[in-house]
Amino acid sequence: MARRPTTSLWISPLSAIVLPRGSDSLWLALAVFSIFSLLLHHLSLRAACQSTVQPHFEGFGDELDEVDDSLDDPPVQLSDLPPSPSLSQSDSQTHHGPPEHQDDGTHPSDPFPAPSPSRTPRHSEFEYWDEDEFEGLPTDLPPESVEITENTTPSYSESASKPAPPKPPVATTWRSYTVEVVCISFLIAFSINYFTGKRENENLALAWAAKFTTKDSIFEKNFSLVGVGDGEDSPLLLKEGQNVFKFYASGRRYCQGLLATMELKSRHDLIASIYNMIVPCKDEISFEVYMNDDAMDQVVFAIAKKKAAKGMHKDMPDLQRFASLMSPLNSRKWVSEELSVISESKEVASDLITESVLDQVFGERAFEKYREAFNSMHFSDQHSGTHKKKLVFKFTLPKANHMADMTRLVALVPYYIDLVGRYKLSSQARSKTDAARVKAAQESYKELQNARQEAMQKRKAERKKMIEEAEATLSAEAIQKKEAKERARQMKKAMPKMKMTRAH
Amino acid sequence: MSSSHSPSANDPRLPSAARPYKASLISPQDLPVDYSGFIAVLCGVVGVMFRYKLSSWLAIIFCAQSLANMRNIENDLKQITMAMMFAIMGLVTTYIGPSRSSKQN
Repeated sequence: MARRPTTSLWISPLSAIVLPRGSDSLWLALAVFSIFSLLLHHLSLRAACQSTVQPHFEGFGDELDEVDDSLDDPPVQLSDLPPSPSLSQSDSQTHHGPPEHQDDGTHPSDPFPAPSPSRTPRHSEFEYWDEDEFEGLPTDLPPESVEITENTTPSYSESASKPAPPKPPVATTWRSYTVEVVCISFLIAFSINYFTGKRENENLALAWAAKFTTKDSIFEKNFSLVGVGDGEDSPLLLKEGQNVFKFYASGRRYCQGLLATMELKSRHDLIASIYNMIVPCKDEISFEVYMNDDAMDQVVFAIAKKKAAKGMHKDMPDLQRFASLMSPLNSRKWVSEELSVISESKEVASDLITESVLDQVFGERAFEKYREAFNSMHFSDQHSGTHKKKLVFKFTLPKANHMADMTRLVALVPYYIDLVGRYKLSSQARSKTDAARVKAAQESYKELQNARQEAMQKRKAERKKMIEEAEATLSAEAIQKKEAKERARQMKKAMPKMKMTRAH
Repeated sequence: MSSSHSPSANDPRLPSAARPYKASLISPQDLPVDYSGFIAVLCGVVGVMFRYKLSSWLAIIFCAQSLANMRNIENDLKQITMAMMFAIMGLVTTYIGPSRSSKQN
């Protein structure tokens, strides 16, 4: 909510300088996006290099693969591995059974049983290390001893992975995280855009309020109560959403109050902003003036740009029922070509479009300035909804630093309040409009009656249903009692009526 | 205010007629439809049921949009919370669940 005093006047130019504007915030978001994705790339690269988890599983696969391969190779396998070379050879031989030598098996003096044992059954291979490591076994001892000591460590897979072919490149690890990276960067860009967009909308609203609602401004001079709260220092604007702001003023002749609603672009919502790049959208402000019952005569009147006017004529029920599109008058100066007038009677229209208004806003020359800013104007005493007598003005807001462009348009508001408030229809016009109103009133009355009847019928039907349900749930006894009662009543009716007189 | 004590003929103000602002109450049915919240719930449910990672992330993004557009904290927060629960559940089942399909993606 905005505060009235002067702080708002200097906050808006400052913040306009400091904060990025609309297009800049998008570049900012893109920059953050790219920086973040680069960071993640770098981090994941590092993580992948350091991880030892993957080979853990691949080691099994490799072992199995190599087992398959080695079926064809000449068996070059050690029968025992874990014991270190310091163990006596006889021990190794006795612990692990007689290896099948090509010679006979009784050579305990052999340094190692290695040369060519035949293939041992598959299950024992899991206990032994890969034969690939020990291919050159008889000839090179020292490297083998080194490898044996290394292999006593529990990192089973590490040894398996050393001679194995290099693992697939790191790039797939990073690629597998594309969805996460994209989504997280979008979320970060979204939250940044939320704060910048929110501040931009607030600045725009405050700029408008500073120009038109603060001290010595047009609304201050026209209304005694300005702002949405009570008392002297009430807040000026009511923020209903990040892009909806309301301004209220009251205390003027002819009207009960004025409500201005600013609906700005959804700058705080990144998805909506992207959508608005395809489907253009504008910052709008709409003034609703609630007229007093005695202040407004039977007027149904609207001005809008040509296409919008056709849409309005179809959509608004009061315009459709009472008014029609007016062809331009040739007898006098009229509104610009781009505008079209919808009115109930021509007389009313020409009375409402005065010379001064034509010169300043709606005339041919004047309207060129306000072509973008003016949307529509709609006066009616038959509005649908709670307030029947309303004047509605819709304008497009200019940029924050061009607020003064709207001054004449905003000046239309109090001008027309006075004009419509004082206006009295001539007798001819009134007779025409009266007939239409009476019909409309009758129709609405009939509708009300119909609605009431329907409601009553519904209630009756509901009551019947309830009674039936209650009857259905009665116990058997109660049913019998009821039937007895019914029979008694019937008999009474059937019996001839006997008159009894007192015997004297 | 300067000229309020003796209103001149041209002063249109009427302090006596001033009425304070009363916010117009809109019933919950008339409120504009929260499309982003609805899509968030939809995506969240799809993500949970089919274990589809992208759908759960989209649900979170639409939840964020719905949160950003929230007008009335009391009314709208329930739906958004529900959508967020679905989305988070979807993400949890995708990443921390027993069948880790994300590794093989």
